[in-house]
Amino acid sequence: MALGKSAAVVIGSFPLGESDRVVTFYSRDFGKIRGVAKASRRIRSRFAGALELFTLGEMVFFDTGRSELVRIDHFDVLHPFDRVRRDLERLGQASWIVECVARLTAEHDRHVALYALLVRSLRALEGPVPPARVAVCFGVRALETLGHRPRLDACTVCGRAYPFPRPALGAGGVVCEACAREDAGMVTARPATLAAFEWLRSERWEEALVMPIGRSENEIGAFLDAQVSRLIGQPTRTAKFLRDVRRLEPTSGVSP
Amino acid sequence: MTYYPEPVARLIEALQQLPGIGPKTAQRLTFFLLKRPVEEVRELSESLLAVKDRIVSCRTCFNVTEGDPCRICADPARDARLLCVVEEPNDLLAMERTGEYRGRYHVLLGALSPLDGVGPDDIKVKELLARLEGGETAEVILATNPNVEGEATALYLAKLLRPLGIRITRIARGLPVGGDLEYADQVTLSKALEGRREIG
Repeated sequence: MALGKSAAVVIGSFPLGESDRVVTFYSRDFGKIRGVAKASRRIRSRFAGALELFTLGEMVFFDTGRSELVRIDHFDVLHPFDRVRRDLERLGQASWIVECVARLTAEHDRHVALYALLVRSLRALEGPVPPARVAVCFGVRALETLGHRPRLDACTVCGRAYPFPRPALGAGGVVCEACAREDAGMVTARPATLAAFEWLRSERWEEALVMPIGRSENEIGAFLDAQVSRLIGQPTRTAKFLRDVRRLEPTSGVSP
Repeated sequence: MTYYPEPVARLIEALQQLPGIGPKTAQRLTFFLLKRPVEEVRELSESLLAVKDRIVSCRTCFNVTEGDPCRICADPARDARLLCVVEEPNDLLAMERTGEYRGRYHVLLGALSPLDGVGPDDIKVKELLARLEGGETAEVILATNPNVEGEATALYLAKLLRPLGIRITRIARGLPVGGDLEYADQVTLSKALEGRREIG
């Protein structure tokens, strides 16, 4: 039986049996880990509120090697990211971020850069930056970190070198007008949007969060969600939640 | 499953469909039932059928009930100005056990869940709005669970109902009765501090 210890973020959970819970973490040292937290649904559980979504903590677990699930022994809260849960738009965008991490990664596949990006994004969501911008910055960099960086220098279908007139964003990157007609699910893109995408990818994180990019943010957000949906083979669940929530506040941002 | 006689295999399969029951537990329950007297097993199977035959959902509050409307909705002694919104019928029962609440209920039959793609159209939100349009309710108590899904639901409902001019309250969160302060986590403790009230 191996004992493991790492900083980790709670990225999902579901009830198990009478009072247990299966919790999914994204950890710094072990990547994605799923484990059983015994009796964690009881009011007086030793885990108390520590296993709530988005919580960053120090996890101690036992891996028996006989099951895909480890046994969670401790989870001491380092930062609860409580402010993220107090606003529906922040909550929705943070959920999109953790859904990307949960569904684009394999278990026990360590990725320190993605872990750092996740924590940095959750921290940014607690600040004054609009939540939609944080999600877009996360999405652009997460795709790059995980090896899914979209190709923006040539049409991904016919290979024609960019720039060309009326570009679109589709499977894997930029698509020329002729190829876009044949490919469903394209997101319209202006040259300014492609430039903004490059810029968000390469600029310093703090600058990427605040630089004005106008409606390119919405276009990039829509592309990122379409790209993640293609990679996981189905629409993201959180995008639906965000659409529903925005019906109450039509003025809020619309990305992703 | 080929090792078992067909009825045993069928029961194991059926029990495995229940939440929290895996193959081992289903097997254990099946062999337990095999050892029990036939009357006891018949009573169990009749109870299962009776639940499906006689229990319906109240068309007003969506609680599980034998008659429609349920006994709470039909009770004239209940305070119609108070409406407590809960996620599931089990939560309603927990509230009733306190004996403190004399108002009415609305069961949402779920909670908003961004990660599961559960939106307002998947729970009984429209029905709640329709009920409130009657104008009888003076206060809505949001008694959803104190987790991410419950909080999201409460936030959503608070925003949705605010224009109706009804008083909207949220049940208090914090330390459990009989708990030790030193073992409380920082989230629970900060909620308890936020919700503190004057004493004496």
